[in-house]
Amino acid sequence: MSCDIAFSQGRSLEGIDFSHDVVPVLRRHCGECHTGDQAKGGFSMNDRGLILRSSAIKVGLSSESDLINRLTDSDPDVRMPPGDRPALSKQEIEVLTQWVDQGLPWESGFRFDQQYYVPSLSLKDPLLSYDATGDRNPIDVILQRGLSSNTELEKQALTDSLFYRRVSLDLVGLLPDASELRDFVVDQNPKKRELLIDQLLANSADYSGHWLSFFNDLFRNDYAGTGFITGGRRQISNWLYQSLMGNKPYDVMASELIAPSSDESRGFIDGIRWRGEVSAGQTVEIQFAQSVAQAFLGINLKCASCHDSFVDQWTLDDAYGLAAIYADRPLELHRCDQALGRVAKPAWLFPALGQIDPGLDRESRLEQLAKLVTAPENARFSRSIANRLWYRMMGRGIVHPLDAMQSEPWNEELLDYLAGYLIEHKYNLQELLRLIANSDAYQSLSVQVPEDSSAGYRFEGPVTRRLTAEQFLDAVWQITGQGPTQFDAPIVQLGQAELDGDSHQFSASWVWGASASNGGVPAAGESLMIRRVIEVQSDLVAAAALVSCDNSFALFLNGVQVGAGDNWSEPTGVSIHPFLRTGENELVVIVTNAGTGPNPAGLFFEACLDYSDGVRERIVSDASWAVNGNVPVISNGRLGDFTGSWEPVTLVHALPVWEQALKQKGPFILQRILTNDRFLVRSSLMKNDPLMKTLGRPMREQIVSMRPESLTTLEAMTLSNGEVFAEILSLGARKLALQYSGATKKLVVDLYQSAYARAPNSAELQVAISYVGELAEEEKIVDLLWSIFMSPDFLLVR
Amino acid sequence: MGFERDQAVPDDVMRRDFMRQLFAASAAAWMTSEPKSLFGTEPQRAENQTGVLRTEPTADACILLWMGGGMAAPDTFDPKHYIPFQKGLPVKEMLSTFPAIDTAVSGLRVCKGLESIASVMDRGTLIRSAVQEDLGSILHSRHQYHWHTGYVPPQTVACPHLGSWIAKVLGRRDSVIPPFINIGQRLEGVGESEELKAFTTAGFFGSEYGPMNLPIPIDAAKAVLPPVGMTDRRFSERRKLFERLLDASESRDQVSDFQTESILRSIDNAHELLSSKDRYAFDLSLEDEGSRRRYGDTRFGQGCLLARRLVESGARFVEVTTEYVPFLHWDTHANGHDTVARMHREIDTPIAQLILDLESRGLLDRTLVIIASEFSRDALIEGVPGSNAADQATEKVEVVSERKHYGLHRHFTGGTSVALFGGGVKRGFVYGKTADQRPLIAVEDPVTIPDLHATILSAMGISPQTGFEVEGRPFYVTKDGIGKPIKELFI
Repeated sequence: MSCDIAFSQGRSLEGIDFSHDVVPVLRRHCGECHTGDQAKGGFSMNDRGLILRSSAIKVGLSSESDLINRLTDSDPDVRMPPGDRPALSKQEIEVLTQWVDQGLPWESGFRFDQQYYVPSLSLKDPLLSYDATGDRNPIDVILQRGLSSNTELEKQALTDSLFYRRVSLDLVGLLPDASELRDFVVDQNPKKRELLIDQLLANSADYSGHWLSFFNDLFRNDYAGTGFITGGRRQISNWLYQSLMGNKPYDVMASELIAPSSDESRGFIDGIRWRGEVSAGQTVEIQFAQSVAQAFLGINLKCASCHDSFVDQWTLDDAYGLAAIYADRPLELHRCDQALGRVAKPAWLFPALGQIDPGLDRESRLEQLAKLVTAPENARFSRSIANRLWYRMMGRGIVHPLDAMQSEPWNEELLDYLAGYLIEHKYNLQELLRLIANSDAYQSLSVQVPEDSSAGYRFEGPVTRRLTAEQFLDAVWQITGQGPTQFDAPIVQLGQAELDGDSHQFSASWVWGASASNGGVPAAGESLMIRRVIEVQSDLVAAAALVSCDNSFALFLNGVQVGAGDNWSEPTGVSIHPFLRTGENELVVIVTNAGTGPNPAGLFFEACLDYSDGVRERIVSDASWAVNGNVPVISNGRLGDFTGSWEPVTLVHALPVWEQALKQKGPFILQRILTNDRFLVRSSLMKNDPLMKTLGRPMREQIVSMRPESLTTLEAMTLSNGEVFAEILSLGARKLALQYSGATKKLVVDLYQSAYARAPNSAELQVAISYVGELAEEEKIVDLLWSIFMSPDFLLVR
Repeated sequence: MGFERDQAVPDDVMRRDFMRQLFAASAAAWMTSEPKSLFGTEPQRAENQTGVLRTEPTADACILLWMGGGMAAPDTFDPKHYIPFQKGLPVKEMLSTFPAIDTAVSGLRVCKGLESIASVMDRGTLIRSAVQEDLGSILHSRHQYHWHTGYVPPQTVACPHLGSWIAKVLGRRDSVIPPFINIGQRLEGVGESEELKAFTTAGFFGSEYGPMNLPIPIDAAKAVLPPVGMTDRRFSERRKLFERLLDASESRDQVSDFQTESILRSIDNAHELLSSKDRYAFDLSLEDEGSRRRYGDTRFGQGCLLARRLVESGARFVEVTTEYVPFLHWDTHANGHDTVARMHREIDTPIAQLILDLESRGLLDRTLVIIASEFSRDALIEGVPGSNAADQATEKVEVVSERKHYGLHRHFTGGTSVALFGGGVKRGFVYGKTADQRPLIAVEDPVTIPDLHATILSAMGISPQTGFEVEGRPFYVTKDGIGKPIKELFI
């Protein structure tokens, strides 16, 4: 290894660039005879060691180096390159001279005779051999062959609850609902896992809310970011969201992106148009070539955008050919920003599958390209997406990293099977996800990637992964009941429409106490308690109350204050879902009239309780409600004991101004709460913010197919003392304190169930209970929440 | 007042700390997207743990004082012929709008308004011939991207900020203070904020390498204190609860995997800072009143003071900006003279005070302080002579008829001043020269961004050819590794 020492010492500050300066010269003039399997005159330049071992060069001394001297030798028999070959230019000789003088710097690992693995264009033996596998998932059949006979995939070891947590996070990005998890665990149906997978995939809103992040990363789409400021960039957000909602076949998605038929999906090929000059390797045309190649083919053309790649087969001509398909102007080739005086001809990377007709107009060329890319014969397309989905489910690509699809897969058969499966199922991505999720391989215990992952990967189980920024936030919002109420993405969320219309007709009456009966006018300052008991069934999915009161009210559910308002011109919406329990609930509104003398007073209450079967129950203030003049003591947001007697309420004639405010604002308020109850506003629909950015959500100026896997110190700091996260914890704890009202043990058990999909063990229970205490003060709950959210069991998908 | 670290660390915590260190290296090795050093980690280079190319450093820390928005050299460090405001003054005759004053260096003059800085010019080197690429259109954030990363946007990979390169290669000094701290620039709610965020990032190095953003210096303490409303005591109680729950969990007894350990190590690191004495460096309220006053009651002044405190406590790279907000501060599209006069007042004393404080604490010799901006300004020329960049002056006049016409309102990339103090650079030295008549372009020793970066990096002990392999492609700290340090600047 002495050459490495020479290399490191030989590299001076003024060094020339081996890759950019030296390699092209050697390739052009010497390559044909002295690299690869050619070694004319016994001289091979394949690697640095070979050159050093020859006598052609004296390191550091160009004047004494044969290789340099022969470039200018007057004797045609000695001069190199020989005979009629063009001599090197003065500049090129200078490059090589400096290279020798500077100690022969070399790119580590570079060889002229590099053997590139070239994946075949077609799939291997698609599908044939697995038709007769019976009940066994083909993935398992293929994997089993690669395992030694005594290794079994440990499917049994993965508990139902861990499986639920993993598959839910992987398919819809959310934690399992605690009660659904309980039902699942006790369910005796042997096909329950299969059914769960079906159920998760069928929930298109949840599914789309999760996979949107994956595709935004892949197609570098975002709701804010560089380029938008100068109008140089367009979103594909709504197109993408609707595509996911409808589970659009992936080849159709790709076609609509490459050859957009509407502006909705144009943003992908138009890239980012920067104001001013950009390097030749970053024009929108070249961006197009890079994006199409990377996103759909797993080919990195970034090197080849400036010069022939040193690491794979792609050349400058390949990159420009692809770019020229998109270009609507003659595209001159540039090598490292130097014009080459040649105009690129539209062409794509795999002419064996067909070629672009350069005579066509741009739209037609793009359509042609879309067809070529998505053709079933083009295995690079199907393999690439199959590999990405496998990575998302299993934590490591079959080809890894994902955008180096020219590398050898660790299981060629498996990759091609999955790719073939996709084609067979008309590029239905959910079908491939379903296949993977149902495999024993997926349902086995998670493992660590061997520390030296470069040395031959072998599948032993899904790799433990970290929650993405979006999964983390969604989970935190799920557990704390905190989260944004409106999303940023310019999309139309389905499900919103069905809630419209219905909520416009209110049926509640305005009520008050006896002072309003027979045309009476309630006294100023009169305070009353108005009550009703409501029955709630078990499968409630959303519940919202709209309350208006002249003059003020406080709303209590089961003795805990859940809302208040003191302005009838701004009706109050309350999300009551978290506070309702199955069975009987006591609803109490304390109402107060204001003013200095008798004046009209009234309470309006209308709630919608939405059940999973689509039934909507309304709870409305009417003559059946009861009123009591003895308002109990309220301390810490809790209602004291009742005294006095209950009388029926009096129906009050509503003032037109009350009704007007309700009509104007009420439906919207109710609908918003119901929508949010049902569809958590997902972080994937929010603009990137400092918290998400810290947690690894990329800026999406470039395509990103893999997120960072480790929690960094700055992230840990942001989570330890950042204001945004602290605020979520604090509001969440307040809500939980009210909801559990001192039932500390239940709180701890429920939190563990939600966060980890398991019950706390007795030691954990004891530690948590003794910390939180019976009073379950908000601060203590904040600390418990933080401890849970920072724990590896929460942060990792095992 | 401050909270003491709990000395009674239980044995199991000790054991875990050991495990965490053990796993630290392997976790990094495992990271799929971790850029690889281009020069390998062969055993022969074991003395060089990061595998990057190092030079002999002349500075251990670096403070970049960023004049965001385009600081006009003829109105600051490179005075030309001065004509006072007068109605009827032809714009093409306007070169400097401030008269020149003497400095501590004989023969070196700067603009009136920079008297304090003038008095410390004998501690540093002034480059007058820095040049930037024109880029065809001036969008400040784009030129700032170029200046801060060394690369012209857009790029095919997310480029790291200069501070992140330094953080990645050199890491923290012997202190828990994060290696890259960025003071004064708000990244939310200001114009071009997305563009600012695009380079205020560690890019492909990942967020471990900064920046830690402290937009409001007087609030910096909050960044290293427990969350608002949480006492130190409760903060440490919470941490103990975390540890106890962790110990109680069953998964803890099973294999100690390195992903878990890596998470716990980062939490440890964070708490180490949040509970160390170094965190007091962030708290400007601990600085005595006189000292705070000497730095001026501006965000920039307080930022300089914060930078001094952080470097004293072991920070590696600190940027302090006058803050870039479109059309504000140095971004003078109109009314340039009066605005620059205000900017003089904002920067003059704090910068001089920073130099003097560093010197009196014996830190200046090993701390490189840089004053720089994305480009200069000119009364007439947008970009460079012959540029096709659109003229963005908001008052396009040929003759000064009102006060607001008086000033340098165009973006000029042909000749800019950069001041360097301490960190091994010569004292009282001037490098390069711009023309005395328009165009005021660099006429001697032009210094490009790669060369300027190479100079800064070399002072910090990093070769400009240091590079990493990103997506199979070499990526260098100066564009394509071409940056060459200006050796004449060093002692």
